[in-house]
Amino acid sequence: MRVDVSWGLLWLSVGLVLVGGLGGAAQDGGGGQDGRTVAQPVLALDHHVLRTVCLDLLGRPPLPVEREAWLGRDLREYLVETTGSLEFWEHWLDEQLYFFLLIDNFRPETEGVRSVPQKMVEGRLDPREAVHRVVLSPSFEMRNPGADTFVTVVMEQLAGMRVQKKARELEIGKALYDGRSGVFLKHTGNSQADVVRICVESKEFARVFIEREYGRLVHREGPKKALGSWSMAFYREPGLFGDLVREWFASEAYMARLEEQHPLSNRAFVNALHVDLLGRMPTQAEAEPMREALDGLGDSAPLRSILARLLLDSGRVEIPEKAAIGDQRVWAAALFPRFFGREGSEGEVNAVCGALDEPSCRPATVLYALLSHPEYHRY
Amino acid sequence: MSFETHRRDVLKIGAAAGAFAGLGGWGMAQDGYGRRRGAGRTAAMPAVDPDAEVGVKHVIFIAMAGGVRSRETFGTPDNVPNLQAMADEGVLYPRMRTSNLGHFGATMSIFTGISEARGIRDNARGTDPTMFEYIRKDLGLRQSDVWVTTSGGPQQTNYSYSVHADYGPKYGANTLDGDGIFNREFKELLDAYGRPKAMEEAEKDILDRVRKSIGRASDAAENAAATANAAKVEKYILEELTRGTSSLRGANSGDAKALRVARNLVSLFKPTITGVVLQNADVAHGSFNGYSEVIRRNDEAIGEIWTAVKEDPELAYSTAIFVLPEFGRNKDLNSRRGLDHGDGSDDLRYVSGVAWGPGFAKGRVVKDDVRTIDAMYSACAALGADPSHAKGQKLKRLLA
Repeated sequence: MRVDVSWGLLWLSVGLVLVGGLGGAAQDGGGGQDGRTVAQPVLALDHHVLRTVCLDLLGRPPLPVEREAWLGRDLREYLVETTGSLEFWEHWLDEQLYFFLLIDNFRPETEGVRSVPQKMVEGRLDPREAVHRVVLSPSFEMRNPGADTFVTVVMEQLAGMRVQKKARELEIGKALYDGRSGVFLKHTGNSQADVVRICVESKEFARVFIEREYGRLVHREGPKKALGSWSMAFYREPGLFGDLVREWFASEAYMARLEEQHPLSNRAFVNALHVDLLGRMPTQAEAEPMREALDGLGDSAPLRSILARLLLDSGRVEIPEKAAIGDQRVWAAALFPRFFGREGSEGEVNAVCGALDEPSCRPATVLYALLSHPEYHRY
Repeated sequence: MSFETHRRDVLKIGAAAGAFAGLGGWGMAQDGYGRRRGAGRTAAMPAVDPDAEVGVKHVIFIAMAGGVRSRETFGTPDNVPNLQAMADEGVLYPRMRTSNLGHFGATMSIFTGISEARGIRDNARGTDPTMFEYIRKDLGLRQSDVWVTTSGGPQQTNYSYSVHADYGPKYGANTLDGDGIFNREFKELLDAYGRPKAMEEAEKDILDRVRKSIGRASDAAENAAATANAAKVEKYILEELTRGTSSLRGANSGDAKALRVARNLVSLFKPTITGVVLQNADVAHGSFNGYSEVIRRNDEAIGEIWTAVKEDPELAYSTAIFVLPEFGRNKDLNSRRGLDHGDGSDDLRYVSGVAWGPGFAKGRVVKDDVRTIDAMYSACAALGADPSHAKGQKLKRLLA
């Protein structure tokens, strides 16, 4: 990862102008001349905050090297660096594709869509243009075949409309799709591409997109007034989306979110399992079949449990032999920050040590107990 | 509620055989659900436990979703010989009214009994309770008694429960998407990883103890309940992965997996309610022939479920089956020689559904209009559950 000074400075200035500031945390600095905090961090990253923010921004827990690098440092510094990274935009694109259900066989493989994250990080594409590209991809057409389905989905997913209440507009949109001229949502058009363009350039798109992204990242509905301001700011300048994200993560609402536990999505679980056990992200060939299988269960806990066991027993995870564990207490205590993003209580550490004392207990048994515990599936 | 589902009706094999020979028909079925006494059974039917209670104890509820017109089902009986046979032994509703709410909303309506306006690609729980929640709550069932198998990916797992304050996840169904879990790539990945090592009882005890020691004491009961159900489903999935479901191919592979999983669940667990949600017929947008093939193959797979029910002594006289599409398709072909759904025609708005089970009429065709949202009402009522928020009503003239 690299530090992009311009992001940090831009974030600070835009944050102050856009919605009247980011609260105390953002206004008292956060960018020295080198973009790094020199004073005491306003919000220091502990195991819990780092794990949570990393999962929310990148869809995975921190890698071991990142834990080492970031613990104790300032949240805002982390936000600047992370939201300016290629990985952030890759994850963002994945989330958009999932929202449009462009997954499995429908995942777009065109260069136009694949190049989105790189162009986003270079500032050559903004989120609105990126979504526009996704919706114009052949995969979207295949996923939503026929005039009725295509226009309905575009109106619903891009502009947040209920077509049952917009029957006339739906019929006009279908006429455009078939190549006939018409006035669709107050704009003229005569093609399938016009249906998409009119929706994606609308204020409704800005509103729906900002509401959705706020909900996804902050895990709650946004304050109505602020959502209105953010939507208008995004409508005028969609390239400033990254600034909004940083603002949200430094807000009181996000601080409240840090006090809560939310379900870990199946995508994030697959990533977490690999990062926490193998110290790396899964390849797409590893992740997609697992994600698809997990998505196939209303309650994926049983299959998550199977996957954890399979990985632990596969010989791919470095698990120490029981005899090689020097200080059981230290080993046991280190598991809780690693898997749960918190320190283990004395009782919990005692229980693990007590289990290890028994001949039938393998270190893998302990790891399996933690990974299949409901707490691992929340964050 | 007018249905009686609890009266014991002791069936003696000899008496039943005599009745069958003497009366030879469905006409001897009496009042309410569960009064059928061997009528309508073929000679190949298995012996029945003489002490078994006869009545609807199990329901298989198949949403033949994806958009299926009556013209290609009961309008072309060669496409659906099994459904036709089921109708001959049950009740056919050729005028089931639907709402064109998109696949997701229209199918959800079938399960909630309320017309649900939802986005086609919405991927969230509904606000109204589903039939699975009513049945689990009213009958006090465990999660392992209530299953849904689906074909349409992550969206359809939302049918397992709603976010309704009085119902919700604690009354949800176990939901399996056949094509999701039993996808070929996943099977290959599992094969590459190998099988988990068998755990001895002593190690299982330790595992259990460590799990229980983690987290707040106040969460312990909830965590334990979640873990107990998970263990059962975990075992089933591992076994199912070896049964060849992953290798099913063809135009209806997603639907075939959902139906195969349902058949295995019905035979193994004998759930009180097994929902099945199909989807592959939507290939019709681009191919009429592909769509017809999906219908034929799905009919065959539904026939296998029906046979499995009939051949199981416990299920044969206690299982009701409902099959219905969520809506039809356009009257005319599109430019790709496919069939979309959005013209408002009767082909789109009316579908044909069938109901078969103990106490249901036999060989009856109900020409009156009914609604697709009525079927769940009858299914709930047959099991003794009250779908109190549903807007549907009993299917007309269902009972013998």
